[in-house]
Amino acid sequence: MNGTAVLHSIIDGVLTGSVYALMATGLTLIFGVMNIINVAQGIFVILGAYLSYALSVHLGIDLFVGLAITIPTLFVVGIVVERVFLSRIKGPERVVMSILVTYAISLVIEGVLNMVFSANYVELHAWYANRSVRVFGFYLGYIYLLGFGLAVVLLGALYVMLYRTRFGSSVRASLADQTAAALIGINVRRVSTICFGLGVAVTAAGGMIYGATNAFNASSSYDLISRLLVIIVLGGMGSIGGALVAGIMMITIEDLVSVVWGPVWSNLAFFLILVVVLSLRPQGLFGKPSVRVA
Amino acid sequence: MSTSTTFLTFDGIVAGYGGGDVLRGVDFTVHEGGVTCIVGPNGSGKSTLLKTVSGLLHPRLGQIVFKGTALVGKTPREILKLGIVQVPQQHSLFREMSVEENVSLGAFLVRDRAEVARRLSSVREMFPIVASRAKDKAGSLSGGQQRLVEFARCLMLEPELVVLDEPSMGLDPKTLRSMFDTIKLMNEMGRTVLLVEQNARQALKLSHHGVVLENGQVRLSGTGKEVLNNPEIGALYLGGTIKAGPEMHPDVTMEETD
Repeated sequence: MNGTAVLHSIIDGVLTGSVYALMATGLTLIFGVMNIINVAQGIFVILGAYLSYALSVHLGIDLFVGLAITIPTLFVVGIVVERVFLSRIKGPERVVMSILVTYAISLVIEGVLNMVFSANYVELHAWYANRSVRVFGFYLGYIYLLGFGLAVVLLGALYVMLYRTRFGSSVRASLADQTAAALIGINVRRVSTICFGLGVAVTAAGGMIYGATNAFNASSSYDLISRLLVIIVLGGMGSIGGALVAGIMMITIEDLVSVVWGPVWSNLAFFLILVVVLSLRPQGLFGKPSVRVA
Repeated sequence: MSTSTTFLTFDGIVAGYGGGDVLRGVDFTVHEGGVTCIVGPNGSGKSTLLKTVSGLLHPRLGQIVFKGTALVGKTPREILKLGIVQVPQQHSLFREMSVEENVSLGAFLVRDRAEVARRLSSVREMFPIVASRAKDKAGSLSGGQQRLVEFARCLMLEPELVVLDEPSMGLDPKTLRSMFDTIKLMNEMGRTVLLVEQNARQALKLSHHGVVLENGQVRLSGTGKEVLNNPEIGALYLGGTIKAGPEMHPDVTMEETD
């Protein structure tokens, strides 16, 4: 182990972590506004990756250009899922029911993807996927830099939407207090549906980067969702800032542990940090105690 | 100000949550331009009744008519558009947002920015705290200050009817007085006020009309003074001193738990 390797792992972690932060932001936004834990977020990421794969392999569309199709497609998928399945879940068991319903949705999508694409691992290819640039004496893959740029742009767009628009005000109000939001005229139902759409739409971008940096099949969704859930729980359920910080932090630490102690320890470190942080701060890093009782 | 026109009527309202009915046929009228105060013991359905006005709860039976328009079945948003604004019992400011942002959100349904700015400046005049603490997070204000900002926010829609659910809850006596003064001022500015209050004596003093709710039904209604001076009601709900019957509990508290 040397300094360069450590620096490399930190930079790698930040670049990859930003993509996880993006995917986790979608998940935490959905929970914050709707009190729904969307365990289908992992399979949506894989669906996004397969959509990029199909566009690239069958139509020769560049991965980034393809996002102009895959992001709106997953937005619509999210809207339909919310309207058809999730909007029907009401009452005190909403959170638990949402886990079951989204898990069922996840299984259905996984089955369909296995039927269409088989269970063989695939990877997304593009001219920039295997090239790298030398920085500080080590190589950084173009795709990681591009992924980081994409995450920054999309998170920036999300920030502008949340803090500079009328719709953003209605989202933040609904995040804070749904009854109070309804009493000032915010259509909380509509906000919820659009937020679910947006939360799922970001997985198209996340999925594309994931698919270009990892070989994947439909079952890869399980590893993804467990990481994403850890990130949003650690950041504080419903906290967008928390998802950002925890996303970057966790992946960076994982990479760092992998370099310092070896790859076998990285997964353990990931979940160990969760246990330690939650035992000290049960509400997560940026969560508020007792704001939401699941 | 005239207080005679029929403005809002409750006709046989039956409503509740899940299992049972909290309201069991409520009938009364709120007159335009006045302050109408609903009092009653714990669990009599006061807050529940207000929720049926703002659309947070749909009655199982009965109708509520506001200036000729039926309210039952309408969403809170549609009811706001008709000019009815409710300030709920629990603090409802968005704690992480600034005071100014909270107040501006009161005019969420108004799309014309110039108009929102005009209303904001007129609300600032009436509530200096909106200007002096504009950039502070709403969560950093005291309970009384938050209540004033909530009033300011509800006026941003320039409502015809302001519905207040126990506005004095959790306030100290001094703040309480200024809060009642503010309610009076809102009324003098032309807003009809419908409120539920646990400080029944003080609230009825400033009210043109009083309604006593008991077990989900109207036990008595009349002018504020009539209700205040009714000996039985005084003993039951206002901490009066006249002899109470064995079934009556003069020390009944007025806190609403539903």
